[in-house]
Amino acid sequence: MAPDIDMKPTDDVNKDDAESSETKVVPPSPTAEIKTNVALIERAVSTLEPRFTHRVLKTLTGLRKKLDWKVLRDAVEGVYPADSVTKKELLAWIPEVTDEGSTATMDIDPPADTTTPAPKPTTQDPVPEAEVYLRLLIIHRFLASPSTYQKAGELVHEIVDKMQVWNRRSMDPVAAKVWYAVERAYELGDELANARPLFLAAQRTASLRHDDETQASLINRLLRSYLSYNLYSQADKLVSKTTFPTSAGNPQYARYHYYVGRIKAVQLNYSAAHDSLQQAIRRAPLPTTAPGFYQAVHKLSVVVELLMGDIPDRSLFRHPVLEKALSGYFEIVKAVRTGSLSQFQATLATYASQFESDKTYTLISRLRQNVIKTGIRRLSLSYSRISLRDICVKLHLDSEEDAEYIVGKAIRDGVIEGRIVHEKGWMECGGQKGGYGPEVAEVFGRRISYCLELHNQSVKAMRYPLNAHRKELADAEGAREREKELAKEIQEGGDVDEEEPGLGDGF
Amino acid sequence: MSDLGKLYRDLQQSFAARPCDLKKCGTLLAQLKIGLITAGLLVPHGEVNPKDLEIARDILEIGAFWSIRSKDIPSFDRYFSQLQTFYNDYGPVLSKSPREFPIRGLNLIRLLTQNRIADFHTTLESLPLPADSLTSNPFISHPINLERWLMEGSYSKVWNAREEAPAEEYKFFVDSLMGTIRNEIASCEETAYESLPLKDAATLLFFASQSELLAFAKQRGWQVNLTEGTITFSRKGEEKAEIPKEKLIAANLQYARELEQIV
Repeated sequence: MAPDIDMKPTDDVNKDDAESSETKVVPPSPTAEIKTNVALIERAVSTLEPRFTHRVLKTLTGLRKKLDWKVLRDAVEGVYPADSVTKKELLAWIPEVTDEGSTATMDIDPPADTTTPAPKPTTQDPVPEAEVYLRLLIIHRFLASPSTYQKAGELVHEIVDKMQVWNRRSMDPVAAKVWYAVERAYELGDELANARPLFLAAQRTASLRHDDETQASLINRLLRSYLSYNLYSQADKLVSKTTFPTSAGNPQYARYHYYVGRIKAVQLNYSAAHDSLQQAIRRAPLPTTAPGFYQAVHKLSVVVELLMGDIPDRSLFRHPVLEKALSGYFEIVKAVRTGSLSQFQATLATYASQFESDKTYTLISRLRQNVIKTGIRRLSLSYSRISLRDICVKLHLDSEEDAEYIVGKAIRDGVIEGRIVHEKGWMECGGQKGGYGPEVAEVFGRRISYCLELHNQSVKAMRYPLNAHRKELADAEGAREREKELAKEIQEGGDVDEEEPGLGDGF
Repeated sequence: MSDLGKLYRDLQQSFAARPCDLKKCGTLLAQLKIGLITAGLLVPHGEVNPKDLEIARDILEIGAFWSIRSKDIPSFDRYFSQLQTFYNDYGPVLSKSPREFPIRGLNLIRLLTQNRIADFHTTLESLPLPADSLTSNPFISHPINLERWLMEGSYSKVWNAREEAPAEEYKFFVDSLMGTIRNEIASCEETAYESLPLKDAATLLFFASQSELLAFAKQRGWQVNLTEGTITFSRKGEEKAEIPKEKLIAANLQYARELEQIV
């Protein structure tokens, strides 16, 4: 009974929408958009050109917001011929709009059909890809309201089974999107952990079928699932056991790099984490279109940079998209930069809940030692000799004894140059080195390799039309053929030429 | 099952007894584990009665503590990984075990003493607690503090915290932890000091008697001057100004190769 009751408000909305779509016809109605999309998918399948499908999927986010049951019903009615089995199956999922509503639908239908350029007499079922696409839209509609989450879950299972049976490569791009919907369905139903076996099985199949897009999508789904349950070791194992398909799209790559960066940061492998996060930032969509992802990556990247002992650029915190989101992180950066432990602790306490929800709290609390190191470094630069007592006071350490150990460790770790004179209770700071040792070459080498890596990644990120080289190859092949023929002719001709004088000689 | 029940009660009794009968616990545990396997509870799968699972968990927990008491770390490791299933996968089904956090804390300390810092942090992240309440749990905050002090170099705090262990079993790890920090301190001293009076060196390294210090100094190869009562650390790494030719050549070749690709 519950769904019936819940359905009412949505019905009202539907009617409103129907009215509004009747009054203004100028922008392409969602129904028409879906229809053209289906036509595009058909074209993609018939011409073996995944580009068209990608174009369709690009509009998915925008279209999702405009969906309602009437639109979907109209679309299904319009796309499938009257006596199609698939149509009945699909319609079974779409809840009945009230009787008047459906008659109204019938009334509106014909004019909507004439406006669309799609061929009107549909006698044949469209390709299965189109069906999956329509199902995907239905799922998104289900996911839009909490009352229908369960139905989304059911539909998701059906569609996944169907996709496995069809096993069509031209379906891959749509399938990858479907997996996202699967994840959403499980997550909104609050049972994300239960989706893992399904994802793992599908990931295996996808990798066996060389289904790169689905594989990329699934690896990200799995990583996300692991990380949201803080299962870092499992996530790490997944990363080390799988190879992320190189042909995956940039958004998938960006996500993957972000997850890898997070795992590496937790494992204290900061430079690897930093590299991954840089890649994620570079591959991420524009900050204005996907601000959430952009902010999340930058939050993590700021913390990792601090943990590496670098200070992030000031300009980063003035970026319009980041300014507000990163305010807490900016305070932390200030505290680390000045090497003030008390300020650091105060900031950490103030923004604790924010860091906690960003899942960066534990990472940030690791910064404590960096704060101390920066403090000691500053002292060693400004004093040539300083008593342990003063160090203790300046850095807010608990006792002189601690100070002695901490300074000793800093010297061993190469943070500062100097030594401790125990009898007198002070630290003597050695003069700075000239800065022309082998370490300069090392730093230089690191920078160069960073630039080279950047260049290579950018080249890899460029997109080329599929199979374009084949045409060139064919051309080259043709040219070679012609050349061969020519050579043959020349040779033959030469022979003839030679023969004639030869004959002439003989004569 | 009734047989298992009797063994389980026996185990509980002999484990709770002071002093605990380690040998008897060991044999009981071995029998119980076989029992659990035949009952399909050691690695539970399918639909299992939560009450049975709780008993299985209890047995494994006792096993974990028993391994610590009998100083068998690999065995603790095994028990802990078996317990993971109960804590993580069956966590929502079962009632919370009061021993869960002591055991998780012990595992953290174990990672710390084996110097597996990356694993330590990974485990820490996967704890089912919100990050800012980690410090309010005494069993977890102890290893966290130890790690922090070790990392920043407040060795004296680690030394002092030895007596503040939240559970009896934690003290077992203290000795090996002390060994670790002594080595840490020693390597710091080698670079930070030119020479040290014997007495001060003993306090810095937390040695109670001079003979212990002398043995330690010998092991590290320090020059001890008994008449003046000082230790001199041999300065090494002064003449390291060599140019790493091979590395530079390799790097340059690498650049050339990359540049060729670009052009």
